[in-house]
Amino acid sequence: MSKIQNIFKVVSNEKLCPRFFRLCIDAKSILKKIQPGQFIHIRATDGLEPFFRRPFSVYRAQKYVEIFYEPIGPGTKNLALKKKGDDIDVLGPLGTPFSLPSKNIKQVVMIAGGIGIAPFLAFSDILKKKKNLELILLYGGRTKGHVYPMKEFKANGVKILVATDDGSIGAKGRVSELFSKVKTDPKTTFLYTCGPTPMMAAVQAFAKKYNLQGEAACEEVMACALGACLGCSIKTTEGYKTVCYDGPVFDLNKVIFH
Amino acid sequence: MNLSINIGNTTFRNPVTVASGTFGHAEKYYNLDEVKQLGAIVPKTVTLPAQTGNPPQRIIETPSGMLNAIGIENPGVDGFIEKKLPTFKKIGIPLIISILGHNDDQFRILTEKFNAVDGIAALELNLSCPNLGHKTLVAQDPEATFRVVKLVKSLSRVPVIAKLSPNVTDITVIAKAAQEAGADGISLINTFTAMVIDVKKRKSILGNFTGGLSGPAIRPIAVHMVHQVAKTVNIPIIAMGGIATASDALEFLIAGASMVAVGTMNFVNPRAPLEVLQGIKEYMKENKIDDIKQLIGNLHKN
Ligand SMILES: Cc1cc2nc3c(=O)[nH]c(=O)nc-3n(C[C@H](O)[C@H](O)[C@H](O)COP(=O)(O)OP(=O)(O)OC[C@H]3O[C@@H](n4cnc5c(N)ncnc54)[C@H](O)[C@@H]3O)c2cc1C
Ligand SMILES: Cc1cc2nc3c(=O)[nH]c(=O)nc-3n(C[C@H](O)[C@H](O)[C@H](O)COP(=O)(O)O)c2cc1C
Ligand code: FES
Repeated sequence: MSKIQNIFKVVSNEKLCPRFFRLCIDAKSILKKIQPGQFIHIRATDGLEPFFRRPFSVYRAQKYVEIFYEPIGPGTKNLALKKKGDDIDVLGPLGTPFSLPSKNIKQVVMIAGGIGIAPFLAFSDILKKKKNLELILLYGGRTKGHVYPMKEFKANGVKILVATDDGSIGAKGRVSELFSKVKTDPKTTFLYTCGPTPMMAAVQAFAKKYNLQGEAACEEVMACALGACLGCSIKTTEGYKTVCYDGPVFDLNKVIFH
Repeated sequence: MNLSINIGNTTFRNPVTVASGTFGHAEKYYNLDEVKQLGAIVPKTVTLPAQTGNPPQRIIETPSGMLNAIGIENPGVDGFIEKKLPTFKKIGIPLIISILGHNDDQFRILTEKFNAVDGIAALELNLSCPNLGHKTLVAQDPEATFRVVKLVKSLSRVPVIAKLSPNVTDITVIAKAAQEAGADGISLINTFTAMVIDVKKRKSILGNFTGGLSGPAIRPIAVHMVHQVAKTVNIPIIAMGGIATASDALEFLIAGASMVAVGTMNFVNPRAPLEVLQGIKEYMKENKIDDIKQLIGNLHKN
């Protein structure tokens, strides 16, 4: 009984690098409305296993709605089996998007870990249109096979710094190793982050230390994704907030990471 | 085709509704034309003071179902009446308001607050609430159930429905107590107390430690309980427990329920309540049944 539930057609589903897939969906009704940071909620089975739908950030929204995912469990493994022309049951667009940087911001630092890179390409598609805005991406992955080819980001004029746990590409270590390489300014820098909780907690600590503002795209297990079940709440300085409806994008300094 | 059902002095246009806690909140997502087709709407349980709910993680999926431990997060009765009730009323179909008191006095005040507003079709008592001085829930104690139902019934302007918990040895004893106290209807079932353990961390996954199991996994037990209760009482039953399709809903009607509610499946398939309604109509047509009442409890002997 939701006006945003639709059955769409899969346009393509391909491996982009050893670990990551991209699924394109012909979803004009979503395309028209979706903003970076928002997500779609996909039914990954015709039956009841896995039981919940699965949430995915919108990776790109140009001709089609694209998602970027890693097959890790039953839901994403089912998705990887989707073929051109298959039906796909999607709810969306959902949630609160990234806010656009205000006029005084001259530098945007996007900090992503692993699959947390997903919402930033669509975001850089929009940010690149702004004049006098420096775009930086700090990206942390486990190893080379996890690092997505960055050419679309480069084409959007994004400066990219990479770290991998094993040093197989970029700096060795966590994405936090890269913080010191960026010269920030509390008045003109704005951070956006998405990734594993420990990484976002490190970004928050960095923001607090240097007095920086920012936003975090958070994750929690979801059932409805419509703000109805109150199952996806996380702790913030303003009490419990639903990731699906109040978020997934929150003020970086207000999330209480556990 | 007559699909209408009466509970107390209230008439519902058809027997399909939603289960408390599984529908609502974001008005902007409703397809109003579709929601309007239902027989009634049941918003999430309202308590007297606002409740912030349980710490995360609050939900987890299980085979054909889920556990939840939301902790009845709600804005409290005043917040509900001020902020949420107007949007529910705007939908224009009967509203069944679910209330939960932590003691008799709270049930009394909640009833009086809803007596003072218009546009409410019935009260549903969420009896999965503390039974003061005992280690049980009200819904696990026939005397407490009798007392709470009797109290609300003596005050309420609208029909009173008692919602039962399946976490009991014999649900018919509780159902009988509710009927004797004057309940106009009974709804069942609420969720089964359950837990899931993270074997890596050797910890219970839910922040609240335990949660309630719902969804298709519990459906056959729910059908059985509805059947047992229908044989015991003569007031109408609103049935719920894993309803996903019209065929699931028909099982409950044939077992003796007068109305059916879609709960957990709203999260998986938001269209489920409408598909259920449509499918019931088709079944009646195919089987030449022109009044839904002919179907209720019409279970043939084996
Ligand atoms: C708003 C939002 C946007 C997302 N965007 C993307 C995206 O663009 N691309 C993408 O690949 N994934 C994204 N995710 C995560 C994605 O939903 C999960 O990867 C997916 O649910 C995994 O399902 P599965 O059945 O394949 O694996 P599961 O078996 O469900 O999970 C595999 C492993 O991942 C862990 N896990 C599952 N879900 C989560 C979660 N939400 N947070 C932390 N750990 C989890 C499980 O504990 C398990 O260890 C997003 C999540 C949210 C909440
Ligand atoms: C997330 C969630 C929240 C719920 N909240 C309430 C509630 O506030 N009050 C209530 O009486 N029942 C609540 N329930 C129970 C349902 O109304 C229903 O009785 C139960 O889930 C069985 O039906 P189902 O299997 O179709 O969901 C909740 C269930 C779920 C899954
Ligand atoms: S998943 Fe149901 S409220 Fe967020």
